[in-house]
Amino acid sequence: MTPAATAVKLTIDGREVTVEPGTTIFDAARRLGIDIPTLCHAQHQTPVGVCRVCTVEVKNHRVLAASCVRPVEEGMEVATASDGVRRARRTLAELLLADHPSPCERQQTTADCELERLGEVYGAGAPRFAARAWPRGLDESSLFIAVDHTACILCDRCIRACTEIKQNNVIGRAGKGYGAGISFDNDLPMAMSSCVGCGECMVTCPTGALTNRKVLDVELPPGEEMGAEELKALPIFARMSGTFLDLNRGAVVRRRVRAGEILCREGDFGSTAFYILSGKVEVSIATPLGHSAARRTAGSGRKGFFRMLTELVKRPPAEVADAAPRYIPIDATVDLDLSNPVAQLGPGDLFGEMTCLSFYPRSATVRAVEETVVLELLRNVLQMLQKDKVFKADLDRRYRERALDTHLRTVPVLSGLSAAFVTRLRDRVHLVRFEPGQDICKQGEAADSFFLIRIGFVKVTQNFPGGDLVVRYLTRPDYFGEIGLLGEGVRTATCTALDHVEVVRIGAEDFRDMMREFPDIEAAMSRVARTRMQSDDRRQDTVSPLALDDFLSQGLMEAQNLLVIDLEKCTRCDVCVRACADAHEGVTRLVRDGLRYDKYLVATSCRSCRDPLCMVGCPVGSIRRHPDSLEIIIEDWCIGCGLCATQCPYGNINLHPFKVVAEDPEHPGVMKAQVREKATTCDLSRDYKEPACVYSCPHDALKRIEPVKFFGIQT
Amino acid sequence: MTGGSPIVAQLREIQRAHGYIPVAALRELSERTGEYLYKLHGVISFFPHFRLQPPPPVEVLVCDDLSCHLRGGAALLAAAQERARNAGPEGTVVRAVSCLGRCDRAPACAVNETIVSRVTLDTLADHIATAAAGERVAGEHVVRGTTPLAVDPYGDGPRYGAARALAASGDAAGVIASLKAAELRGMGGAGFRAGLKWEFVRNAAGDEKYIVCNADESEPGTFKDRFLLENVPHLLVEGMLLAGLVTGARLGIVYIRHEYEGQLEIIEHEIAAARAAGALGPSVFGSGRAFELETFVSPGGYICGEESALLEALEGKRGEPRNKPPFPVTHGLHNKPTVINNVETFAMAPVILARGAEWFRAQGKAGASGLKFVGISGDVVRPGVYEIGMGTPAREVIFDRAGGMAGGRPLKAWAPSGPSSGFLPPSMVDVPLDFDSLAKAGSMLGSGALLALSDTACMLDMALNAVRFFRNESCGKCVPCRVGSAKMVDVLSDIAGGRGRPEHLAMIDDLSHALIQTSICGLGQVVPMPIRSVLTHFRDEVDEHLLHKRCPAHVCPMLGA
Repeated sequence: MTPAATAVKLTIDGREVTVEPGTTIFDAARRLGIDIPTLCHAQHQTPVGVCRVCTVEVKNHRVLAASCVRPVEEGMEVATASDGVRRARRTLAELLLADHPSPCERQQTTADCELERLGEVYGAGAPRFAARAWPRGLDESSLFIAVDHTACILCDRCIRACTEIKQNNVIGRAGKGYGAGISFDNDLPMAMSSCVGCGECMVTCPTGALTNRKVLDVELPPGEEMGAEELKALPIFARMSGTFLDLNRGAVVRRRVRAGEILCREGDFGSTAFYILSGKVEVSIATPLGHSAARRTAGSGRKGFFRMLTELVKRPPAEVADAAPRYIPIDATVDLDLSNPVAQLGPGDLFGEMTCLSFYPRSATVRAVEETVVLELLRNVLQMLQKDKVFKADLDRRYRERALDTHLRTVPVLSGLSAAFVTRLRDRVHLVRFEPGQDICKQGEAADSFFLIRIGFVKVTQNFPGGDLVVRYLTRPDYFGEIGLLGEGVRTATCTALDHVEVVRIGAEDFRDMMREFPDIEAAMSRVARTRMQSDDRRQDTVSPLALDDFLSQGLMEAQNLLVIDLEKCTRCDVCVRACADAHEGVTRLVRDGLRYDKYLVATSCRSCRDPLCMVGCPVGSIRRHPDSLEIIIEDWCIGCGLCATQCPYGNINLHPFKVVAEDPEHPGVMKAQVREKATTCDLSRDYKEPACVYSCPHDALKRIEPVKFFGIQT
Repeated sequence: MTGGSPIVAQLREIQRAHGYIPVAALRELSERTGEYLYKLHGVISFFPHFRLQPPPPVEVLVCDDLSCHLRGGAALLAAAQERARNAGPEGTVVRAVSCLGRCDRAPACAVNETIVSRVTLDTLADHIATAAAGERVAGEHVVRGTTPLAVDPYGDGPRYGAARALAASGDAAGVIASLKAAELRGMGGAGFRAGLKWEFVRNAAGDEKYIVCNADESEPGTFKDRFLLENVPHLLVEGMLLAGLVTGARLGIVYIRHEYEGQLEIIEHEIAAARAAGALGPSVFGSGRAFELETFVSPGGYICGEESALLEALEGKRGEPRNKPPFPVTHGLHNKPTVINNVETFAMAPVILARGAEWFRAQGKAGASGLKFVGISGDVVRPGVYEIGMGTPAREVIFDRAGGMAGGRPLKAWAPSGPSSGFLPPSMVDVPLDFDSLAKAGSMLGSGALLALSDTACMLDMALNAVRFFRNESCGKCVPCRVGSAKMVDVLSDIAGGRGRPEHLAMIDDLSHALIQTSICGLGQVVPMPIRSVLTHFRDEVDEHLLHKRCPAHVCPMLGA
């Protein structure tokens, strides 16, 4: 190679620099520590050179050059801040600001509108030009992202985020010239488009054009914005690109909280994660305690006829007792003990990771125990942190030390593991992270490991003739991968990360050792594996063509169990409704409404779907399928966020207010009666031998029946 | 070897079937081709030719750009709108359109996509009635022209002699030397040396190369390529063939504006004739070297005349100019080395080879080299295209060839090349029309779209009209052009509306600096030219508007605040 092909020498602002050919002037200047302002250029995206703010003067060139796209040339003499350059930048900022709704949404909330800052730096704050005659409008269709087209400067960052970075391919430029704007698909409102709400666009947007909706508690709460230099001084950011931190100014704030102050509340929607720099916080869930207390007292005063009646048929306690200790998984490297759901976190701990990555509700309330300093991070910064090997290793170590034990114990079949074996596993498991949509294992591949889900949701699909079918969703405390290891060594299903998933990976060898050492565990696991395989086989039989239109259009093929009322027998005596209420702390879960087929009413009642969409996203894992049967259970520690109710396609989950006595979050230590919402759905009266409604009907009008039987479909 | 993207043709097909592009058809296309919806919508909404809504029963598009503006386009537009409002027929929509390329027959309109010219309110009413009755409006009858031209070396004799000779000799270097000796420069406006461009592409690495002809002239006042397409299509075909043989490209594409339907037929006919004569095909004149030509109809827009925007459109994308470097000679169509020249540039190549570089040079005047086709429009007796020696003074074209000023009115201003060259005073009418002389005079030869303005014109109004055209045609990719052109229109409208303030001059100055210095392409860079030239040569007229709130030509509205 000739020397010219290997290095290019040029001068920037009078200083010499030698760079590889193909380097842009922008990057070459950065090497010298010269910051060139820009709006459209983001270091992790292909430069497009549309805002022209990064314009520089190149000696003997007719016009200025956009430094983000102009490659260096041998002997170039570049001036990055000449009078002509500064004048052009000032006019460009002024032009954009003339049409900009200052202060825009971003400026109002996080004070980091890059355009408004540029205007300030270049003294273009009060534009002389008239504003656009017609505002370009707001698009508030999306629940997550607010779109203010008027604040859009068409920098293309969101477009590249959507197409290049995330490859969702939704956002583009539409229209032409002064009428051009960003648009979703064929110019649909964001919510109507194929947008998946990943948020990459709003993270990269330099202005208030794309912002997190207020409902999601977007605003970084008042905190100190930290400059790149200051962040780099912190060990966790030491290895991170200064450019990235600089471009993401405002995405990390430092918050100082006094003892007793609350950082976040369970059930609130959020989009940030917290990293503790100093101090100590307490993580807790108020509800299970309060709710259990309420339950204990509810029946004492009044005991209705149906309550007594239903008590007679209550299952003996042994049948429902869960031998394993119960832990509530939360969005941190600790689990909460159900009997005393409080834990402490200290310096170096990260919490709110899942909320931040996947926009789930907060899983717990976090309160400072002493004077505490935390960093509150937006998702892009968290993701960059997670790419840092040192940081990731530290988090993994914390998890292994503090949560692996309880995690294993929460998995019922593993509760019998000896302490010695857990210790052995501690150093041998790997925490592996998967992006949404990524396959964790594929049907037909060789099985080489066993997985426990730490965070996120996993979709299990099987390939049937005619396409893929979702067979189940898994989340904590579920595990998967055992069938392949116990059986023929081949994966029987494809497991895909539905959101940001982290799994604990246990290698085949360790798994086999575990099976050898603990025959009880092997027996239990084989039992579950058999059930899973049987239900898969059953499914294989039933997914064949089902012709009934209603059956398909109403989603009844998803149902495994329907509540059917014979309207000719029913006298509307309401006994079923009252029985249901009595079986469920006075709140009925039975609504006698729904689709009618001939003389039958298919009640709006949980159908125990095959593909229980309701289970996706529960931040505390309180909604799940009964380990041994079909019904969907909502555990007591539900924090009432309402996500499952929103996701049930059939409206079968309702939020009901419960009176509970719980600690007052504003006044730690003070117990007070309060009303809390909890999700409820038909659980087939799981504490009883059969559903209370069916049992209590004096006219024998109610039946729980499998849809295929009800519709008389032959399988 | 792939030519133009099939997407544009597929969209056009859908539009032909439905009258517009329905959402269902768009989704179907997206699924069939795998092109994302956002991409397809981005393309459709970029080009004026495509519609997302059903067309109205009668759609009348009236041109009011420079040449048509001088011939009453604005008044025609207003009157036609008024009449449609009051007298129908029902469902008639009348709106403005950018230059239709009939500047010599101004004012021009399109009625249900048929172009009609020399329109009056009455003839327009007849066309509208025809369209409302569901009949096809009679447009212009385009036939191959027979104007005898100095430029045609073949006359009635056999054509393609230069290409035949090159196919036999293979002397590519000789062709490049001749073009250089003839000092042939790009006739589309930029004036880049053609010989050098061909040489770059010849020397560029890679086997896949392209020849693209820019037949998308769309600037107000520009119609000389239309004339060349009608009269000497064989020279264009031969010029592209020569470029192919010289550079090693095996495919050429003629990118032609969609308003040139008749001209498209002529060029396609000529391509077929050339193929029959053995000039095109797998073995050009038995040389064993392949070269094919195809046509690509532009979905519209002035910006597609910018070479890199044209290439983007050819690739089925939004016609947005690329950042340069790299240039098309190394990264052109499909990122391959590409010769992209104007119709006239290609047409001159066989002339130079057939008649010799010396002969060609000798056609120029005042030290300039070669022949030039200029189109003249505006307030002259005989608007049209004239073949002149490069370096001919504007005075000769305006007063001799075009018959002088219409109605005997005095010449107030002239433009060497439409709005982008800016306006010059009568005192400069003796400046030779060639690249260097006009550049020295602070203007440019451009594509040679002469405009002559009589004393009835208001110079501020003309500058505003020109800037409005640029704003309408800005692609919107870069900030200075997208926003700057709109704000320039605002400022000039304020002055023309009697709301001028002294600080407007500083604002124009700042805008000009940003537009010239930071725009991605030539469109943004020429936005300030009209008003800057008016400020240079007709400053008093601007001051009258600005300081005394008076339009001396009684053209501007001057309504005040």
